Parts: sequence; structure tokens; C-alpha cells
Amino acid sequence: MTDVAVAGNRTAWRGKLGTEPVAARPSLDARRALQLVLAAIWLLDGVLQYQGFMFTNGFNQMLAGTADGNPAVIAKPITWDATLIDHHMVLLNAIFATIQLLLGLGIAFRPTVRVALAASVLWALGVWWFGEGLGGVLSGAASPLNGAPGAVIIYALLAVLLWPADREVPAPFTAARAVGAPVARALWAVLWLSLAYFALTPDNRAPAGVSGMIAGMESGEPVWLQDLQKAGASLVGNQGLAASIVLAVALVLIAVGVYLPARIAKGTLVLAIVVAAFIWVFAQAFGGILASGATDVNSGPLLALLALAYWPLRTVPAAPQAVPALSAEPAESASTEEA
Amino acid sequence: MTPDWILDVFAAIMLVVAAVSAARLVAARPWQRGAVVTDTDISHLLMGIAMAGMLAPSLSTLPNGVWVAVFAVLTAWFGYRVVRDYQASGARALAVGHCAPHLVHSAAMVYMFAAIAAPAAGGGMSGMSGMGGTSGMSTLHVPTLAFLFALVLIGYTIWDLDQLSGLQHGLAAAVAGAASPALVGATAGPLVTEAVGEPGADGGLAAGSSAGPDGTRQSGTASGGRSGLITVLDSPGTVVGCRIAMGVTMALMLVLML
Repeated sequence: MTDVAVAGNRTAWRGKLGTEPVAARPSLDARRALQLVLAAIWLLDGVLQYQGFMFTNGFNQMLAGTADGNPAVIAKPITWDATLIDHHMVLLNAIFATIQLLLGLGIAFRPTVRVALAASVLWALGVWWFGEGLGGVLSGAASPLNGAPGAVIIYALLAVLLWPADREVPAPFTAARAVGAPVARALWAVLWLSLAYFALTPDNRAPAGVSGMIAGMESGEPVWLQDLQKAGASLVGNQGLAASIVLAVALVLIAVGVYLPARIAKGTLVLAIVVAAFIWVFAQAFGGILASGATDVNSGPLLALLALAYWPLRTVPAAPQAVPALSAEPAESASTEEA
Repeated sequence: MTPDWILDVFAAIMLVVAAVSAARLVAARPWQRGAVVTDTDISHLLMGIAMAGMLAPSLSTLPNGVWVAVFAVLTAWFGYRVVRDYQASGARALAVGHCAPHLVHSAAMVYMFAAIAAPAAGGGMSGMSGMGGTSGMSTLHVPTLAFLFALVLIGYTIWDLDQLSGLQHGLAAAVAGAASPALVGATAGPLVTEAVGEPGADGGLAAGSSAGPDGTRQSGTASGGRSGLITVLDSPGTVVGCRIAMGVTMALMLVLML
């Protein structure tokens, strides 16, 4: 710490600059680290929700638009919700933004992590329906490139997988700790196989389907990002079918990877992170945040975060703790580290 | 546009941060020999005033150019401190050291004031008035940099909150588990403080003022006689809480001006 010692008219710097020892810190295991990343994303979402655009009719129309193509049972509540928001735009949007802000802070604050994670699941499910129209899953508009099956549902999935409980100790990977390895693997497979399916739907495998989607994100972006997207779109060109097949194959490999031996699984997880990064940069333009008007970061970072939750762990003996309960989680007989 | 009342709420929070920092500075009794004044309090005080002025133009104080100079000095100071921390503790200092977040905060302030100081923004703080007004929102040059700053600020905010709540949890558990006041003193010292002074015989701090993490002053045995308000002001939660509020608000401002 830097101190300024003041004595009479004389001020002098006091302290041993640059020589302070780093203080003892609360424990931080892989799951807590992933929880914190999730918290940061929620916090960013909350901040984004305070943008001026969200207090205009543009936001309301964006919500109402998600009803298009959905079955009536899904679409009608969305329309009702959009109308309600239209009548109380400022108040409701301020509440939405504050809720997301509090979710982020709540997950980061150890005593409230369970409450915040549980609330985030409920909130995410609500937003998935009323704000994203179930991610276009039922309307035929879903694509892994535009955030299918809805970015916000991945928040809910992460909250469940990162829940601070231990059903399986030691667990083969972080996501298995709360729900067990079989369930965690099944959830992973369902998600990535569904993405592979969406990549091959008629709209997405159309000749200009992929390039059109990439080019459609250019508006309002910084020049350097527009250049990147133009390059990406021209690279794909009218080879939408080929691009979709390549993407679908990669997604299937990723889906089955968690069932393979650890070494191969790591390779497929790296592939998952690369694909997620590629999608986030080229197809999602960083969620459109730099163009203003984005409500969230879109699915790219969440898919990458999810992949990290499946990274194989190795079991190590638990070290004796001098101070109990530094972690927000219950004491365990064994702990795990990233392999 | 973002309603004025929302920006006013955040401006009020910044004024509270500034007031708390000012109170801490006063409580340190800088007019007395051997008083300890922390740079983080000075930094928080200045940032609180500056940010309140950016959020609510009626609270603006100094011209943009002056604020750029002020925060450039703070940036240089915390940059120097980070380099020294790095030399002492390696790259870990960047992640868990207390100076790195303040460096980012100061640099973000320089960026915000410099990036809106365009001719269209006019003089003084008037360039920010559009931020909360209805005539249009001010934007920052190089918005990518604003986004990166916002990400880093949010990262440090989350980290601060986790570490703060973890420490409180740990201390509470230690108290509950030991049910012995002596253990609190023995355990709390090294946990709560990044001691500048030499550790006391009990593992805590030696008597006399010293500084804890993130600008927290630890008065050792002397703190026992101080008032409850001073104790609250000197607690780690107060300083880190101020930094968390500042990080969230600064990230918000950066995103609003993308």
C-alpha cells in the first residue's frame, strides 16, 4: 500500500514501494472461476441494458419481432409482454437492467451465490421466451451463427452446471460436480447436436445463407470489424452448403467429444472454443456491442465458457486448511484441478 | 436515450464514494505527525467528483483538460506502483495486487475525458451533457478501447467482490469456529491486510498505523479505541465497496458512450 506520511509542512512518501507481500486470498477453484466469468457476463449485460436504445421503441419492436414465426401459444405472450413494456418502457427497462446487474453482483458475492444462480435460471428462462422467442428454435430462424438456441438459455445451463454442490466427487470435469457426469455429458451433447441440426436447416444451408448472415452484422460496427466481416463473408461467398456442412461436422465432433478419452476430449473442447470464437467474431460481431443496441454478448463467449466447464480435471489430495470455509462451497474430502 | 434520473442515481452513488473517501482522508488526520494518507482515497475522491460531473452536468466542476491532467498524473503514479509490484511479486501482482485496478480506473478516466474532448463537445464538461440529455448521446473516439476498458473494469469489479466476500466468509468462520477473540486477532491480521509495516508478534500488524489492502488503513491495536464510524471507514469493505461502485459506474459510462 502506498502511504503518504504528512508531518508538519513536510510530506514524505512512506512505505516500501513495490515490496509488499501479496496477501492471503480466499480459495478459487475452477468452478468458482467459471462462476465469476458468468457473473461478469451478467454484469456486462446489465450495463448494456441501460443503453439509450433500450429506452426507445426500437427495443420494444425488437422484442415483438421475436414472436414472428412462433406458434401462437408462444407468440401471444411475447406480444402481450411487448405491449406491456411499451406502456411502461422506462420503468420496466430500468428494472430489467438492474436485475441483471444484481445477478452479476450476486453471483460474485459468495454469500449470495446460490440465490443469484437460482434467480438467474428463472430470469434466463423468462428472457428466453419473452425476449428471444425461444431463440427461434420453433420459428425456423435459429442458426448457430445467430445465437441459437438462444444465448440466454446457455446462461441458465451454466448456472445449473456451476451450481455450488457436489453430486460427484471427485468429478471428471467441473460441469459434472453439480449434476453428475452422465447428465452433464447428455446436456452438452444435446446442445451441440442441436446446433449441428440448425446449421443444416434450409435457410442456413442456402448458397448465400452464411455469407448473408455475416454481412448483415456489419452495420454500425467499427471499420476494422467491418473489414473482418467482409473478409469472412467473401471467404464463404456462395458456398453456404459447404460451409454449413463443415460447421455441422465440427459441431457433431464437439458434441461427442466429451464421451471420448480425456486427451481426445481436450482436442474437441479446444475445437469448441475455436468455433465459438470464430462465430463470435465473424458472425456475431462481438454480440453487436460496438454498434450499440446490443442486449447481451450473444452466444460465442458462453459456448466457450461452457467448454471450459467440461475441461478434464485431475484429482489431487485436499490440502489442510488453516482457516475454514474460505471458499463459498462446502468443504470436500478431495479437490480437483485442471489437468 | 438513457433517462436522466438513472444517470442521477449513479451520480449520487459517485458523490457518496467521494464523501466516504473524503471522510477517510479527514479521519487519517493528515495534519498530525505520522498520519497515513492513502493514494487510493485521493484517487477515489477525485474520480467520484469527476464522474458525478460527467453523469450530471450540473455537478461538473473542472474543464476536461484539467481532469485529463489530474488523471494522467494518477495513471503515472499507479503505473509506477504496478511496475514496482510486478518487480516484487511478478505477474501475480497484476491479477491480485491492489494497484492494477486503480491504474485501469485512472487510465479509463483519462481516456473518457480525452476522447470526448472533441471540438463538437465544446469546453468544460458540456460535452457529456448529451449523455443524460435528450438531444443525443455523446460518443467516444475509438469505441473499441471503451469496450476493452469496460471489460477490464467489470473483471476487476467481480474479482473485488469475490475476494471481499471470501475474506468476510473466512473471518466469520474463523470467529465462529474458534469462539476466541484471541484467534480473531491472530488470524485476521495477515488475512485482512497487506501489511507495509512489520508483522506483530501475534501475526497481525504491529501497533500504529499502517495500510491494508486496497487502501484500507489498519491501525492495529490503536484501532480499538476509535469510534465505530472510524472503524467502518477503515474497514476493507468500505474501500473495496467504493472501488466496486466506481468500477460498475465507470463501465456503465463507457458502454453508454460507445
